[in-house]
Amino acid sequence: MAASPFTRRRAILLLSLTSVILITLDLRGSALVNFTRSAFGVVFRPIESATRVVTRPIENTWHGITNYNDVVKENKRLRDLVAYGQGSTIAAVASVREAQELLALNGLPTLAGISSCTAQVVGQSPSNYSQTVEINRGSECGVKVGMPVLNAAGLVGKVTKVYVRRSVVMMATDPNYSLAVKVVNVPPTTTTTTVPLAPGETSTTTSSTTTTTTTTTTTTTSTIPGFKAGSTVPTASTAAPLPGESVPTGTVGPNQPGKNTKSPITVPAGIDLPLRETGALEGRGLGKAPIVRFVENQPRFGEVFVGSPVITAGGATSLAPPDVVVGYVSRVVKRTGTLGPILEVKLSASLDNLNFVRILLYQPSTERTATP
Amino acid sequence: MIDRLVAFSEARYTRLVLVGLIFLGLQTTLFNEMRPFGVCLQVMVLLAAASGLARGSEAGAIAGFIVGLLYDMVLTTPMGLCAAVFAIIGYLAGYAHSFVHESTWWSRMILGAAASGMGMVLLPIAFAITGTDGLFTTHIFVVVLVVAIFNGLLSVPAELICRWALREPAAVR
Repeated sequence: MAASPFTRRRAILLLSLTSVILITLDLRGSALVNFTRSAFGVVFRPIESATRVVTRPIENTWHGITNYNDVVKENKRLRDLVAYGQGSTIAAVASVREAQELLALNGLPTLAGISSCTAQVVGQSPSNYSQTVEINRGSECGVKVGMPVLNAAGLVGKVTKVYVRRSVVMMATDPNYSLAVKVVNVPPTTTTTTVPLAPGETSTTTSSTTTTTTTTTTTTTSTIPGFKAGSTVPTASTAAPLPGESVPTGTVGPNQPGKNTKSPITVPAGIDLPLRETGALEGRGLGKAPIVRFVENQPRFGEVFVGSPVITAGGATSLAPPDVVVGYVSRVVKRTGTLGPILEVKLSASLDNLNFVRILLYQPSTERTATP
Repeated sequence: MIDRLVAFSEARYTRLVLVGLIFLGLQTTLFNEMRPFGVCLQVMVLLAAASGLARGSEAGAIAGFIVGLLYDMVLTTPMGLCAAVFAIIGYLAGYAHSFVHESTWWSRMILGAAASGMGMVLLPIAFAITGTDGLFTTHIFVVVLVVAIFNGLLSVPAELICRWALREPAAVR
């Protein structure tokens, strides 16, 4: 009996040491730990599948009891949405095709040019504290760690672990998730309604900020004297015409050195386009909207408005290609001084109801290994 | 050779691993889908606590470590983190049970619930130590409450299973 306290102490010390060693090894990305997890996954998969088959009736009973009313309501709502969506799909497809053609015409990368792998979500994390889902595609499909995962609505997250036939996806709301994004600042449209005047009556103009009405007016003021945004302005050369040379008027052609020209100067409609500013999207955990930090407080960019779209920024080091839809700004938290605002983002993709997702087989140029 | 294999298969912690695998299967399938109040029920922490209640603090700590390590295999959290937390839970459950003069079914239920609730508090603390942010929200209270109630209800049958699994080999036959 005298040896009992010593044994107990030794056992507890051994357990503590083992835990610390394992945590350290895993945090340092040990291949041994990854291999062990992978091997355990292979052994455990049949047990899990068998348990799933056995427990499915209980699961179905549970869902039948707890979710029946919600399913009926959702079904009605989805029918309405389908009817509404069918009309707008045709217009949207045409717009997307047009945009892709324009981007391809200008040699810009498009999402259509990136291969992808479609997968189904087969499980979520059994923990209450991590936000990951498991999908049924892995390295056999070309999936690699870091690749972006989307669904039909927008960005879902990124791949964090890859096995042969399954992968683990960290969702965009996870506190460890971060990604470079662009905020497209779209100011609310101003609607001007002019009341028809009766004879002898003074004019009355009412303005409101709404996006639901169909008549929108945007006022553009150019700071370049004599120039109008989006217009082509004919200008005269400062060089005087040569003696005996006739000056064609109103013709457009290539400029000749030493000769006067009447070539127009095109001022692009840049002022009308929405401005973009980059920032870093960061997850904040369960039940909290992700935020965008490091948006600069620039007068040119102006005030960020609620509802402004947030899309991925892309770039040489970013794990996602540019222009993947992330969501929209749901709240703007202003900060004093030169610190830019913190923007809360409502994700387009509903992370609670994931089924089919698409993994973009995309790696940034800094991650690509050089081919011999 | 065969004798050794038989002896190994009869070892109490081998039986615990087999029981743990079944519980893990239930955890990743049935209890992963059944989420009352949005909380994933945690039968693995129940197994750790029940081991402590069944066989005392030392066996509870070792059993908790083994069960936690099995759980770590399917989670994306650092390996060994749940093992450490569940070892503490197993130890505390056994230690607290040693103070109960005449153990009854309801005292074991209360201890099982308390140990499970404590596990749900210790887990986010352990995650925070290893660098995960954003876990300390009011949702923790809901998790603790739901897991404690559920595990309290199941602690008596779970303790019986652990009592069988952690029995000495000679006594099994």
